[in-house]
Amino acid sequence: MRKLLLPLAIILLLLSSCSKDEEKRTLHLYNWTYYMPESIVTAFEEEYGCDVVIDYFSSNEEMFAKLQAGGGKGYDIIFPSADYTSIMIKLDMLSLIDHEKIPNLRYIPSIVKDKATYDPEMEYSVPYFMGAAGIAVNKTLAPENYERSWMIFSDERMKGRMTLLDDMREVLGDALKTLGYSNNTSNEEELEEAARIVREEWKPNIVKFDAESFAKSFARGEFAVVHCYPENIVSELSEEQMANVDFFLPETGGSMYIDNMVILKDSEEKDLAHAFINFVHEPKNYAVFLDEFSFPPTTNTEAEKFMTTTPLFTSEDLENYEVLIDVDEDLEKYNRLWEPIRYTN
Amino acid sequence: MKRDKKRINVRAYLYSLPMGIWVTLFFAIPIAIILIYSFLEKGLYGGVEWRASLAAYKAILNPNFLIVIWRTVYISVIATAICLLLSFPASYAMARSRHQTLFLFLIIIPFWTNSLIRVYAWINLLSTEGLINNVLIKLGIISEPIPMIYNLFSVILVLVYMYLPFAILPLFTAIDRFDFSLLDAARDLGCGRLRAIILVMFPAIRSGFFNALIFTLIPIFGAYTVPLLVGGMGSTMVGNIIVDQVQKTRNWPLASAFSVILTLISMIGVMAMLGSGKKKEEMNEKLL
Repeated sequence: MRKLLLPLAIILLLLSSCSKDEEKRTLHLYNWTYYMPESIVTAFEEEYGCDVVIDYFSSNEEMFAKLQAGGGKGYDIIFPSADYTSIMIKLDMLSLIDHEKIPNLRYIPSIVKDKATYDPEMEYSVPYFMGAAGIAVNKTLAPENYERSWMIFSDERMKGRMTLLDDMREVLGDALKTLGYSNNTSNEEELEEAARIVREEWKPNIVKFDAESFAKSFARGEFAVVHCYPENIVSELSEEQMANVDFFLPETGGSMYIDNMVILKDSEEKDLAHAFINFVHEPKNYAVFLDEFSFPPTTNTEAEKFMTTTPLFTSEDLENYEVLIDVDEDLEKYNRLWEPIRYTN
Repeated sequence: MKRDKKRINVRAYLYSLPMGIWVTLFFAIPIAIILIYSFLEKGLYGGVEWRASLAAYKAILNPNFLIVIWRTVYISVIATAICLLLSFPASYAMARSRHQTLFLFLIIIPFWTNSLIRVYAWINLLSTEGLINNVLIKLGIISEPIPMIYNLFSVILVLVYMYLPFAILPLFTAIDRFDFSLLDAARDLGCGRLRAIILVMFPAIRSGFFNALIFTLIPIFGAYTVPLLVGGMGSTMVGNIIVDQVQKTRNWPLASAFSVILTLISMIGVMAMLGSGKKKEEMNEKLL
């Protein structure tokens, strides 16, 4: 035991000494992997003379599990999607947003607030980005007259060269929207109808449900049509390759997401956190983020003036899109229909 | 004498303490947590509710899941069998070669590269637009690309590739220790070459064989990345379901129940094999 005590004591000493020396203020972020250009963070650090420490997650579930296990202590700002934002509001985990401290909220257009049904007044959350998964077609591989809708996945001419996202809510949601239903429905008949489309019309033509490695194969010309988020392919394809790609959001509508910035209730740097959110939505800074991913200025209209790239889709494309929100117990209904689609031949 | 024995006991206890703590902290306790979680109700937003429930085990009986369990057993048995079949001649050749160190080195080299990168390399090789198909088409051997990826074939192939070294290394160690003059003796006594290997060599290297079996079967049984990346429509394995239940459907008890089943099946398998191994050894001893 004694042998153990010494190293323990040293570790404790080290730990306590680092917190003592810390006079510089530090902001702790918990964000998606590769979702904020580093230059924005560095610029903020310089302007406010503080440190910004960022941890990363790759799914909402991962982030939420960590918070629930008590690993979220010390974080100031987190970037959850709409469904988890609503859960965190329900569970009283968030701090109220002081609109006085974030004047740049004025650049967030009303369409975003309308779609954010879980928090339309931005009481607890500030939208970071509103976007959607769409379809990318490699024009050199696809036949000329392909359909620019979700029903492209019924096209047998490209059988075995198409992928859908390995994401139950996205895929079933898009089928629901194609049928004219809400993608947050709890109506079992509507769900069954949507599942039938996925099972009988789309699934036979796709090679796999993939959310991990499809972009690399799409870049290599292995897949002709992929269901994807724009950033998936932008990060994987060169500019010349992108010239041959038709990325579109089907007009019939589909599933959309809003990623938010929220301040945790236990945050000790609430002022700095508000300053950071304001800084991100400064149009000049926000444009850097949009340019990085070829995103349109859906969530900050003013930023358009500072953009140097042409986005892959426009804010208008999102008109018929509905934000996926948490469906609580009804998730089981989705699971039951998804399991045979996903796990069996 | 007595005092010495006592001292040795205390020392043995002290020496095994770190290992004991390690096993308890990182093996026994986690398994216990998984076991307990599998008998609880699922929380609405992930996690568990502290109410006892058999819901998770009932959910496993769902035919969609049974198909995946059966598929996992099927893939594991085939991939392990191929690993063992390939590893025997390889280990034999290595043990008899003058360039042992070189061969050992060659087997270990792939481990210097992260396994995910090696899986992506396989994707590049096997794709419809990949190296193998392109070369075959250029050589005029085939006119249409062969579908080699996103199916059971690719999953088994890559699993065999990943775990073959784990079969070769223990088997090689066992064969290397084997006294080859015994084979000569058997042949002097009129035994055929193949019979000599089967009757004399196999029993002697049995422990290496079981190690190889365990080192390949168990990790393959819990495979996750390989079926995810090179698998297609019908190649989901239990490992993938476990991750889905935690990360997507927020059903921790079900994920735990699947883990319990995985652990149980592999434990029963290993015990059965060890048991039969021991029996045969005893029989051999009696015969001798």
